[in-house]
Amino acid sequence: MSTAAHALSAGHAPSHAETQTGIPNGKLAMWLFLASEVMFFTGLIGAYIILRMSNPAWPGSEGHLSVPMGTINTLVLLCSSATIVFALSAAGRNQIGTARKWLILTIVLGFVFLGIKGTEYAAKFHHHIYPSTNVFWSCYFGMTAFHAIHVIAGIIFNFWVLMYTFSPRLWETRGHRLELAGLYWHFVDIVWIFLFPLVYLL
Amino acid sequence: MSETAHSSDKTYTVIWIWLMALLLAGVGLAEMKVSKQLIVAGVLGLSTIKAVLVAMHYMHLKTDRRLLAFVLIAPLVLVGLALCVVFSSRLVRL
Repeated sequence: MSTAAHALSAGHAPSHAETQTGIPNGKLAMWLFLASEVMFFTGLIGAYIILRMSNPAWPGSEGHLSVPMGTINTLVLLCSSATIVFALSAAGRNQIGTARKWLILTIVLGFVFLGIKGTEYAAKFHHHIYPSTNVFWSCYFGMTAFHAIHVIAGIIFNFWVLMYTFSPRLWETRGHRLELAGLYWHFVDIVWIFLFPLVYLL
Repeated sequence: MSETAHSSDKTYTVIWIWLMALLLAGVGLAEMKVSKQLIVAGVLGLSTIKAVLVAMHYMHLKTDRRLLAFVLIAPLVLVGLALCVVFSSRLVRL
C-alpha cells in the first residue's frame, strides 16, 4: 500500500505533520469554511422563510415548480454523495482506478444536476418568468442559482482531484484532497436537501 | 479522518437506500391531504434526518474528532438565536 493510500485508510492525510488538534490543517480549514457556508445559506433560507410567512398568498398561482424534476434532481445529488464516498473508500483501499471511476461518476452526476436545473430555468424564461417577476421568483432564482454556483465549484474541485489520480507522484502527496472534495460535495448535497422541500414541496 | 475506521461500503449503501426512501417519503407526505402544519413538520423533519445521516456517515462526523462537530454546531446555534430574534417580530405571521 502506498504512503498516501495507507494514510487515507489510517485516517491521516499524507505528508502532513501531526497537528495540535489531531486534525490535518486542510481538513480543519475545510470544516471552518463549511461552517461559514452554513451561515451564508441559512441567511438566504431564513430570509425566504420570513418572506414566505409574511405573505399569505404565497407563491401565488404562477409560482408552480415541477416536483418530479426537483425530485429527480435530489435523487441525482444524493446518488452523487454516495459515489464520492465510494471513491474515498476505494482510495483508502489503494484502489486508485476504482476511486477514479467513482469520482468520474460523481462529476457526471453533478453535470446531470446542472442540466436538469438549466432545463427548469429555460422553461421559466420561456414563460417570461424572471427573478424580477415577483418576490417568490427572486427567492427561487437567488437560492437555486447560489446553490448551482456551489455545485459548479464542487465539480471543479472534484475534477481537480481526478487529475491527481492519473499521476502516482501527485496522488502520493495530494491524494488526501479527495476527502476535502468529498466534504464540500456532501455539504452542497445537504443544502439541497433543505432547499428542495422548502421551494418545491411546501 | 479519525483514528477509528470509517464505515464500510455496505454501510454507505444502506445509508444511500435510507436517503432515497426518506426523500420519496417526504415527497409522498407533501402530496397527502392532511393539515399543512403536519406536512411542514413531517417534510422538514425528514430533511433533517437525511442531513444528519449524510453528516454522520458520509462526512464521518460519527467517527471523527468531536472538535469538528463543534465547528459545525457553533454556526447552527448562532443562526438559531438569530432566527429566534427574527421570529419574535410582529412582522412575521406564524
